[in-house]
Amino acid sequence: MDFNTVFQIWAAALFTIWVYSIAFRDNPFFKFAEHTFVGAAAGHEIVMGVDNVIRCGWTPFARGAFVYAVVFLLGFLLYTRYSKYFWMSRYPIAIMVGIGIGLSMRAAVTAEFIAQISSTAKIKVLGVDAWTGFSNILFIVLVLTVVYFFIFTFPGMHGGNLGIISRFARYGMMAAFGYSFANTILSRFNMIFGRLDFIMSQWLPLPGAMITFPVVLILLVYAMIPAEKRPWPKPIQPG
Amino acid sequence: MGGSEQKGIWSRLENVPREILYGLLLIAFIIPMVRPIGFPIPISDESKRWYNWIENLPDGSVIMIDFGYSGGGEPELGPMAVAVYHHMFRRGGLKAIAMSTSTEGPLLWEKAMAEVNPGQYGAQYGVDYIHIGFITGTETAMAAVGKDLRATTSTDYKGVSLDQFPIMEGITDASSFDTLIVYTTGGDQSEGWVRQWYTPYQVPYLCSTLAMMVPTMLPYRNAGQIVALLAGATSGQMESLVGKPARGIKSADVITTTHILVLAYVVLGNIAYYASKASRKG
Amino acid sequence: MSLMVRRQIPILIVFVTALIIMADYFLQLPPIDAVTKKSWTSSLVTDIQNWGIVLAAFALGFGAVNLSYLHTRHISRRTKGQWPFSIWLLLIIIIFAVTGIRYGATSSTYSWLYNSSYFALSATVYSSLGFYMTSGIYRALRARNLESMLLLIVGAIAIMRNAPAIAVAAPIVINMEAWISAIPTTSAQRGIMIGAALGAIALGIRTMIGRETGFLGRLTEAEKGG
Repeated sequence: MDFNTVFQIWAAALFTIWVYSIAFRDNPFFKFAEHTFVGAAAGHEIVMGVDNVIRCGWTPFARGAFVYAVVFLLGFLLYTRYSKYFWMSRYPIAIMVGIGIGLSMRAAVTAEFIAQISSTAKIKVLGVDAWTGFSNILFIVLVLTVVYFFIFTFPGMHGGNLGIISRFARYGMMAAFGYSFANTILSRFNMIFGRLDFIMSQWLPLPGAMITFPVVLILLVYAMIPAEKRPWPKPIQPG
Repeated sequence: MGGSEQKGIWSRLENVPREILYGLLLIAFIIPMVRPIGFPIPISDESKRWYNWIENLPDGSVIMIDFGYSGGGEPELGPMAVAVYHHMFRRGGLKAIAMSTSTEGPLLWEKAMAEVNPGQYGAQYGVDYIHIGFITGTETAMAAVGKDLRATTSTDYKGVSLDQFPIMEGITDASSFDTLIVYTTGGDQSEGWVRQWYTPYQVPYLCSTLAMMVPTMLPYRNAGQIVALLAGATSGQMESLVGKPARGIKSADVITTTHILVLAYVVLGNIAYYASKASRKG
Repeated sequence: MSLMVRRQIPILIVFVTALIIMADYFLQLPPIDAVTKKSWTSSLVTDIQNWGIVLAAFALGFGAVNLSYLHTRHISRRTKGQWPFSIWLLLIIIIFAVTGIRYGATSSTYSWLYNSSYFALSATVYSSLGFYMTSGIYRALRARNLESMLLLIVGAIAIMRNAPAIAVAAPIVINMEAWISAIPTTSAQRGIMIGAALGAIALGIRTMIGRETGFLGRLTEAEKGG
C-alpha cells in the first residue's frame, strides 16, 4: 500500500475516534476534529461553487452567451449583504426565490395534492375481503383526520365533540412516528457500523495501529478530565 | 431497609450512566463483526421489484442516476449504489448517466466506481457510463437538466466536452431517459425529482434514501409516482439478489444484535421507570 | 424611489420570474416556434434556470464568509479555549479552497484531501447521533399514555422487522410491519404532505404578492412601514 493511502487511512481513523469521543465527554481532540469538519465543509463548498460557476457559467459565456456577465455581476452582488449596500443582494436573491417558487409550486399542485387525493379516492372499500376493507377505510379516515388536524387550527375546531377527530389523527401520527423512529435507529446504526467496519477492517490491520489504538484511547480519557484537575498541562491563571 | 434498597436499585437502573449504555452498544456492534454469525437476510418484495425493473429494461435503455448523498450517508447508500451498478453492468445493454445534486456526489461516485470496478464487466467510461458533474440548485438543477441537459452543462465532471462521449449521443432532456435512479440523504432531492422529472415527464423513478426518510416518501410510492422505494440500509438484500456480497450483507448480523439490545433498553427503561415510580409512592 | 428600488422591485422580480416559470409549464403562450413547436417562454425559462444555477453556485461561498467573520472575531479577541481552533478552521478552509481550485475538484490531489478528512468526519458526525439516540431510548422513551404506548408498540414491531434474524425467525413481524407501513404510516404521512403542500402553496403566493418578505433579509424602519 502506498504512503498516501496509508496516511489517508490513519487520518480518517483518528478523526473517527476523536469525533466519537464526544459521546462520552467534550475534549480538545473532539474540538479539533469538529473544527476540521466545519472548515473542510466550507472549503469544499467554495471548491464546488467555483467548479459550477466555471462549468455552467463561464463556459457558455466564453462561447458567446454574454448575458452571463450580468449573472456574474448578480452573483457578486449577493455578498453585498454584509455591507451597508445590503439591499443590492435582494436582486439575485429575488431571482433565486422566484425560480424556486415557480418550480416547486407548479408541480406541487399535481405531485403533492392532486396525485395524493386521487390515489386516496381510488382506494376500494367494497368488493374486497373484510380485513382489506377495514384497512382501506382506516387509511381514508386517517388521511382525512390528519388533514383536518393541520388545516383547521382555529379555536374550537379541536375541542368538544370535534376533539375525537384530532385525537384519532394523533394516534395515526404516533403510529407513523413509531415507524419513523424504528427506521431512524436502523439508519444511524448502519452508519455507525460503516465507521466501525472501516476502523476494524482497514485501519487496525495496518502496522502500528493495534498499538496506537489504546494509546489514543488513553490520551482521550486524559483529555476528558477537566482542565483544573489535570496534572498537565496546567490551565493559564489570570493575572 | 429492604424497601429503600429496592427504591435504590430501581432508581439506579433508571439512571444507568451513559458510558455503560454506549459500552454495551459497542459490544453489540463489535462481537458480530469479530465473529460473524451469518444470520439470513429475508428479501423484501420491494427489493425484488427494484431488481426486476432493472432486469426487464429493454437493451439500449438510458438511466439517469443522481448521486445526491453526502459523506454522512455513504455507509448506508454507498453499498446500495455499488450493488445496483454491479447489476446494471452485469446485465449489460444499459447506459448509466450519473449526475450529482450534492456537493460531495462526484467524489462519492468515484469511490463507488472504484468498488464496482466496471472494467471487470467490460464497461467503458463514456460508452456505458459517465458522470456529468455536480450541478447546484437542487430542484433548479433537476428542472434545468430535465428541460435541456446540454444547455445546463456541456462537459462531464472532469470538464471534458460531452460531445466526445458516445453515450451522450441523442441525449437532450428528460424524455431521453427510460428510468431515473436517485440515491439521496436529502428530502429536497428525493421529493424534488418527483416534482421535476416524474410529474412533467413521467420518467419511472427508483428511489433509495436513508431508512429514516422512507416514511416521508411512502405516499409517493403508494400513489405510483415511485416505482420502488428502498432504504440504503437494505442494501444487503440487493447484494444477495445481484450475487455480490459486500458491506450490506456484512451489516446484517450487527443490525440484528444492536436492534435486540435496543429492544432490551426500551423494556428495561420502562420497567425501571414504573418500578421506581411505584416504589416512590410506596 | 428608494423604497421602490430596495423593496418593490425585488418583490416584482419574484412575481414575474415565478409567473413565467409557471406559465411555461401550464400554457403555450404565442408566438409558438414553427420548428420546435415550443412557446417563447420555453427558451426563456431554460435560460432563467441556468442563471439560477450559476447564482446558487455563487451562494455556496456564504458558509465560508460567515465562518470567517465569526472566527476572525474569536482570534482578534483571543477567546479563551477557542482562538487556536479558530485559526485551524480558517487554515483548513484555505487549504481546501486553494487545493480544489488549483488542482481541480475531481483531481486525485483534492480527492486524497477529501478522503483523508472531510469524508471520514462527515460520515462519523452523522453516525454519532446514534449514540445519543440510544441514551434517549433508554431514558426518555416511556409508555406514559395511549399515544406513547402506540408509538412504542409500532416502533418495536418495526425494529423487530428491521433485524434480519428476528424477521426470519418470526415471519409474522414482516406482515405486521408491511401493514403498519402501508396503512397508518402512509396515510398519516399523506395527510401531513397534503397539509404541507397547501401551506407551501400559500407561502409561495404570499411571497409573490409581497406579503412575505423574509427573503429580503433585514428591513430598515422605512421598509417595514411600506
